[in-house]
Amino acid sequence: MLSDGLFLLSELPPSPEQKRLAIGVVLALLLASAITAPFARIQLTNTEAMLPAYAAAVLVNELITSALLLALFSVQRSRAVLALAIGYLFSGLMVVPWSLSFPGVLPAADLDAGLQSTALVAALRRIVFPLLVVVYALLKDRPAVAMKSQRSMRQTVLVSVAGVVFVVGSFLWLIFVNHEVLPRLMADKSIASGPWWYVAWASMILYVAGMLLLWRSRRSVLDLWLIVVLCTLFIEIVLLSFISAGIRLNVGWWAGRIFGLISTSMVLIVLLSETTALYGRLARSVSAERRARENRLTAMEALSASIAHEISQPLASMVTNADAGLRWMAKANPDLEEATAALKRIVRDGHRAGGVVEGIRTMFKKGAQERAPVNMNQIIGQALSHAQNEVQLAHVSVRLDLDERLPTVIGSSVQLRQVIANLVSNAVDAMQAVLGRARVLHISSGREEPSRILVSVADSGTGLDSLPPDRIFEPFFSTKAEGMGMGLMFCRSIVEAHGGQLWVTENHPHGANFLFTLPTSDVQTSPGSTA
Amino acid sequence: MMSPEQSAVFIIDDDASVRESLYSLFRSVGHLTQAFSSPREFRVANLPDMPGCLVLDVRLPGQSGLEFQREAARSGMLLPVVFITGHGDVPMSVAAMKSGAIEFLTKPFRDQDLLDAVHRGVEIDRKRRAEAALVQELRNRFNSMTAREQEVMALVANGQLNKQIAAELSLSEVTVKVHRGHMMRKMQARSVPELVRMADRLAGDTPRS
Repeated sequence: MLSDGLFLLSELPPSPEQKRLAIGVVLALLLASAITAPFARIQLTNTEAMLPAYAAAVLVNELITSALLLALFSVQRSRAVLALAIGYLFSGLMVVPWSLSFPGVLPAADLDAGLQSTALVAALRRIVFPLLVVVYALLKDRPAVAMKSQRSMRQTVLVSVAGVVFVVGSFLWLIFVNHEVLPRLMADKSIASGPWWYVAWASMILYVAGMLLLWRSRRSVLDLWLIVVLCTLFIEIVLLSFISAGIRLNVGWWAGRIFGLISTSMVLIVLLSETTALYGRLARSVSAERRARENRLTAMEALSASIAHEISQPLASMVTNADAGLRWMAKANPDLEEATAALKRIVRDGHRAGGVVEGIRTMFKKGAQERAPVNMNQIIGQALSHAQNEVQLAHVSVRLDLDERLPTVIGSSVQLRQVIANLVSNAVDAMQAVLGRARVLHISSGREEPSRILVSVADSGTGLDSLPPDRIFEPFFSTKAEGMGMGLMFCRSIVEAHGGQLWVTENHPHGANFLFTLPTSDVQTSPGSTA
Repeated sequence: MMSPEQSAVFIIDDDASVRESLYSLFRSVGHLTQAFSSPREFRVANLPDMPGCLVLDVRLPGQSGLEFQREAARSGMLLPVVFITGHGDVPMSVAAMKSGAIEFLTKPFRDQDLLDAVHRGVEIDRKRRAEAALVQELRNRFNSMTAREQEVMALVANGQLNKQIAAELSLSEVTVKVHRGHMMRKMQARSVPELVRMADRLAGDTPRS
């Protein structure tokens, strides 16, 4: 599920299938290169005509990738992604002058002044792209830029694009107009000269550096496929510069180009399909969130009605007691005993209302939301010691059957304690009316395979009274809860928020048995899954 | 005037603190009070024979207060009912009033309102009991008469003269006069109009639902 928040391409970890695919692509590439190597020097003359097609494919590929990354940047605001997008944009834009100036492609335009232009453009492409990938690898683990508005994001994108265009323009001016100041990379129109090798080595170093940096800090789908891209480019340059001895338009040269194109197309296809899959998952996640929120609102309404009721009961009693007390005292013969009793009841009811408020506060307090490993046996012990007075006054005997090797659960000890306290309190109340048989409170805990614990709180009281078992969890159902005054609906919502279930059955021969399950700590709960 | 010792109030509420506070309140104004935690307890209890009123919480575990009242009324319990509730639902209050409740109060209510409603209920019950007692007395008197005397009474109450009665019953006027004398004495009616009212009461004494 997307509940862990990692759904951007630059954050989503790759699935095992994707990793296998990436490895497969690289291996296939190596294999293909190995196969073509022996034939590398075979010259394929007059194939310049294919070049514009190849260049067009590369252009489309790289521009789309750049657009994808710019979109990603505007969502994620990561400078690393922006750098990468600029790299792809630069590379894509530069392919146009490269192909146009390639000797033989457009002879009439005569763009290859001094035979160097194409090679210089190619050199820039080979250097700048991996450089920006390295920048991405270095920057990507930094935290995202602070929240900027949509407009300023768009502005950044536009400025970056304009910047790239400007830089490209400047380079092109330098190359095509002023190339005398630049190193000579081509000996003739098809054989590379000395300085080209520097370019080749420099780019190989950059590819390897990029691969290492990405490998070391790899996390996401994007990282994985960038490694593949760099691998591809490395193999490509090996094929172009070494295996085919730096001569253009031979088998090795074309092989390098074609393999390069295929693998970057693959990368693009994977990224696009990942994006659409994410889109679908996001849409489902959003509607699931909406449903969960609606459920929460309904539950909250019911909860606040329940709270209002739990507080208004003791308040009403207090008012009536006070009124009764006043009347007892206003008689001709004031009955102080009765008045005192009334006042004492007021105190008790006041505490009860206070207990309800306290219960509500604890439930929504920050501490109550914290989750940590919890031993339910300890919780049960704590809740029982709090309720000791109540239990003893009601002459209830407690029987405990707690599994010593009970696994821990992840949860809020405060909330779970309240659940036990409430169930105990209900059990004691249910047994108030019992005469002529033992009042036994039986609490047990144990592991329920494969990954849950089961806790039960059973009493020997009046039982369910032929009620449908679920009715007592309804918010308006009259409860006998005193003390915490928090009703079974609270208990159920706490248990369910912890990933468990709470239900009630008849206890034999008398009484009711409240049972709840909780997932053990080796099974992580995700709150969204119970919505 | 209500003589305080002669009225009873019965409380049915599952909340113990509510029961206790109401118990104290009603006793402080002099009602004989009994509190129950469920309708079942109430049904099996021995109720004192005096004018009374029932104070009933609408929402109870198991059978709701309203259902209980309807069922009890059907099986002949004639106690007036005052409903109390911790939830203020209007539809329920309308239903309660329609089924004949004296009053419907939501907590926290002003205790004077409750006391007034109970007082009204007790008075209604007092009148009903007095009426029932009177009718029973009349019935006793009627049953103590002979068949002839009963016939004569019916005809006298109809406004017929002795002569007409004699003709109808084929008796002599003197006999009719004798029967009439006995009848008036046994019924303890001092005048014919009074007798007519008594006859009406007897005739109208149909079982109330």
